[in-house]
Amino acid sequence: MAGVLIRMKLTVLRHTIAGPRATWMLTGGLVGLALAAGTIALATADAAPGTVLDLLAVTFAIWAFGWMLGPAFGGDPVLRAEQFALEPVPRTRLALGLLGAAFVGVTTAVTLVAFTALIVYAARFGVLPVIVSVPGLVLQLTLVVLLSRLAGRFFGALSRSRSGAAVTALITATMMVLSQSGWVVFIALDVVLETGFSPTFSLVVRLLPSSWAVLAVEASARGDWLWTLLPLAGLAVLVVLLVLFWGRLLGPRRLARPVVRGSSAQAAARRADRGPVSAVYVKEVRTWLRDPLRVQSLVVAPAFAILSGLLPLLFDATAFLPFVGAITALMASVTCANLYGQDGTALWLTLLLPGTETADVRGRQLAWLTLFGPLSIALTVLGVLLHGDPALWPWALAATFSLLGGGGGLLLVVAIDQLVPGPDPHKNKNSPLDHGDVTGQAFVMLLLALSVATPALGTVLAGELLDQPLLVWAGVPVGLFVGALSYWLLGAAAVKKLIARGPELLYLMRAGKEHEGQVGAETAVLKAMPRHRRGLLWTSFFIGCIALFPQGLVPLGMKLSGDIAKVWFFPLYLPDGLQWPAIALMLVLGLAAFALSGWVYLTETRRLREKLARKAAERAERVAAEAVPVG
Amino acid sequence: MSAVQPQVDDTGGTPETAAFRLLGLHKVFGEYTAVDRVDLTVAPGSFYGLVGPNGAGKTTALSMAVGLLRPDEGRSLVFGVDVWEDPLSARKLMGVLPDGLALPERLTGRELLTYLGQLRGLDAKTTADRAEELLHVMELTGDAERTLVVDYSTGMRKKIGLATALLHGPRLLVLDEPFEAVDPVSAATIKRILNRFVGGGGSVLLSSHVMALVEQLCDTVAVMARGRVVAEGPLAEVRGATTLEETFVELVGVRVGGGEGLSWLAS
Repeated sequence: MAGVLIRMKLTVLRHTIAGPRATWMLTGGLVGLALAAGTIALATADAAPGTVLDLLAVTFAIWAFGWMLGPAFGGDPVLRAEQFALEPVPRTRLALGLLGAAFVGVTTAVTLVAFTALIVYAARFGVLPVIVSVPGLVLQLTLVVLLSRLAGRFFGALSRSRSGAAVTALITATMMVLSQSGWVVFIALDVVLETGFSPTFSLVVRLLPSSWAVLAVEASARGDWLWTLLPLAGLAVLVVLLVLFWGRLLGPRRLARPVVRGSSAQAAARRADRGPVSAVYVKEVRTWLRDPLRVQSLVVAPAFAILSGLLPLLFDATAFLPFVGAITALMASVTCANLYGQDGTALWLTLLLPGTETADVRGRQLAWLTLFGPLSIALTVLGVLLHGDPALWPWALAATFSLLGGGGGLLLVVAIDQLVPGPDPHKNKNSPLDHGDVTGQAFVMLLLALSVATPALGTVLAGELLDQPLLVWAGVPVGLFVGALSYWLLGAAAVKKLIARGPELLYLMRAGKEHEGQVGAETAVLKAMPRHRRGLLWTSFFIGCIALFPQGLVPLGMKLSGDIAKVWFFPLYLPDGLQWPAIALMLVLGLAAFALSGWVYLTETRRLREKLARKAAERAERVAAEAVPVG
Repeated sequence: MSAVQPQVDDTGGTPETAAFRLLGLHKVFGEYTAVDRVDLTVAPGSFYGLVGPNGAGKTTALSMAVGLLRPDEGRSLVFGVDVWEDPLSARKLMGVLPDGLALPERLTGRELLTYLGQLRGLDAKTTADRAEELLHVMELTGDAERTLVVDYSTGMRKKIGLATALLHGPRLLVLDEPFEAVDPVSAATIKRILNRFVGGGGSVLLSSHVMALVEQLCDTVAVMARGRVVAEGPLAEVRGATTLEETFVELVGVRVGGGEGLSWLAS
């Protein structure tokens, strides 16, 4: 069973690998490998074995959370149980087969590399612990893959209703905040390596199943065979139980989808005389309130922001509170950036209604701003009041205003420019989580939105540095101005893009891939290559620049000369033992990224040359055929 | 090709009298020529059927003709107005029902029609009256009043699609597979409405691969195969003495499969 499914998955992947999926698979793989190398480096850290154990436990927990979050962002898995619903295969066998197929993938490979940290850690103690670590590694990898599939199943079932979607949003936000703040531990790495974690923290982390393998390894090093076998047996039982549970879930859907009702005849016809922008606005607000997927975005943004503000309170840190509103605005733009992709081919109506592109863009902007604007501003005010330091007002307000305006403008530009096609809403009404992979789009949106916030925050910072209160406060109007300007201008740019590329966007959503345009002999390679390829080229070039020069060569020079200024050179912040490996890692990463962009450029050049040659041959053939007189 | 009507040449004739003209529309996807320089002429007041097997290029040709897919070459004129050069005027003259595309799904039928009326610039009273009439004729009131489009059945989706195409009172209807997967009751409703539309002086171009239906409804037909129009003319001329289906199979030049192999089936 597993063999058949793995071959099937590979075939599907081979046919889809040319798309934007491949781009993100490669960039994601690179970033993942860097993280995996970091995890392995931790296993070699120079500290008490117990502390290293805790560090590894935290890291493995973060990996596990990442796997459970994956389905929410990455869309549906390649093979789904529904596709085999009519095949006469027992569910448990199907579950095992799908599990086998789930192991084939870039993410699993990267995680496997990361989890070899377990073996590296065991190698500190001798041969026996290494032997123990191997089954531990296998069980741990199986566990995270299973957890990921179950989480995807669970979220998929929940998000069919609006209340379920809201719950999914809360869980997602919690896991995001937890896995993110896990890195707080690493900021304080120096201290942790010396003093270790608090006993309570260490106990909680060790209780998580993702830590059991490393516990077994540590116990075997002490010769404590009970505590070697117990965690491993526990993991094995857990894995078996999860497989059985998954098998049961693979049957017909259990939860019925609650049906949302629209307004009555009188209410539907109300306010029908206020022009096209208002028409789109009303349609959008109705969609926001009725579509489970939109409800999810509506809840995730404030939930993430509020939790990010609350969690540091556990350590008596209130620094995040004033920025809860700004984070809400930021997350709202990131999670909503696929507006057009979510609506699918409904775009045809906009294309066929004469001159309604402007109304469509402006109405959507306005609806987004209505839903998130007052909320973000209220959260900002509340946050600053709770924090109590009036000096933070300009920071919080400048950030909130520029992120709201910038987000509202960028949202539509990104939604059009980086559209991720997915199934049409009426085709996935029973599984709203089956959408395209929006991870790349979310990152683009995050970076762009943050860059819109820099002028305002820069003004406030400049004021603080120069000790000019007036300049500090000038950041607020700068934020308002930049925000309003981006809202307006970027909205206009989005309208232009929509008019120019409307039919191409519709094609993209109908076919799921971009249409290759006309290619002429004079076409430049950079222009002719598919957009996602170009994206990959520039992204890896950019990553290469950052990794090789400031994070690799400069710290290298500093280490060699002994003249060290940490500034933003990440490797120099690590404990002494890790600095050289980190520099080496950055150098490798930089070179690999440059190699990748060079490879993309070369293959695309070759492809364009071949295409032009083929076209020329075809043209010659046609001319020859037309020259023959038809009898 | 005996049934092919004499082609009106590109420059001569009286293009403004044609309700819809496709001139040399051409589309290539990668290596595959989906539509190969297609010409069609829909006379005003005619009920025009475009038939062809799956993959013949009907949907691609219609998408280019109405302005949803950019053609590689060729033009499309609605009552003499170029769809790609003067889209605003052209789109006011026609109503379009594409096959299988999404709508604003989280609206009820009435909300959708009200929304489109506003976008079309109709006044509130006209929109409300027309929406009421259309929903009534399409049998989408009563129990279905508060149902969202996303929960509509296939037949209901086609009917609300037709309602959106009719709302602004177009002179030409372009319908892609309007009867695909529609139950007989809904199909009868749609047929009656289309006949009334043509009876009132409107022109209809519809695509289908159900020959019997096209024979029953249309006065003019065109046959498409492998991206080309292989026959065009009045129904009686195209089908000759046989049925449209037989003529079609002959014109398309395909061998009807299903005769050999499969010996293990139900043996």
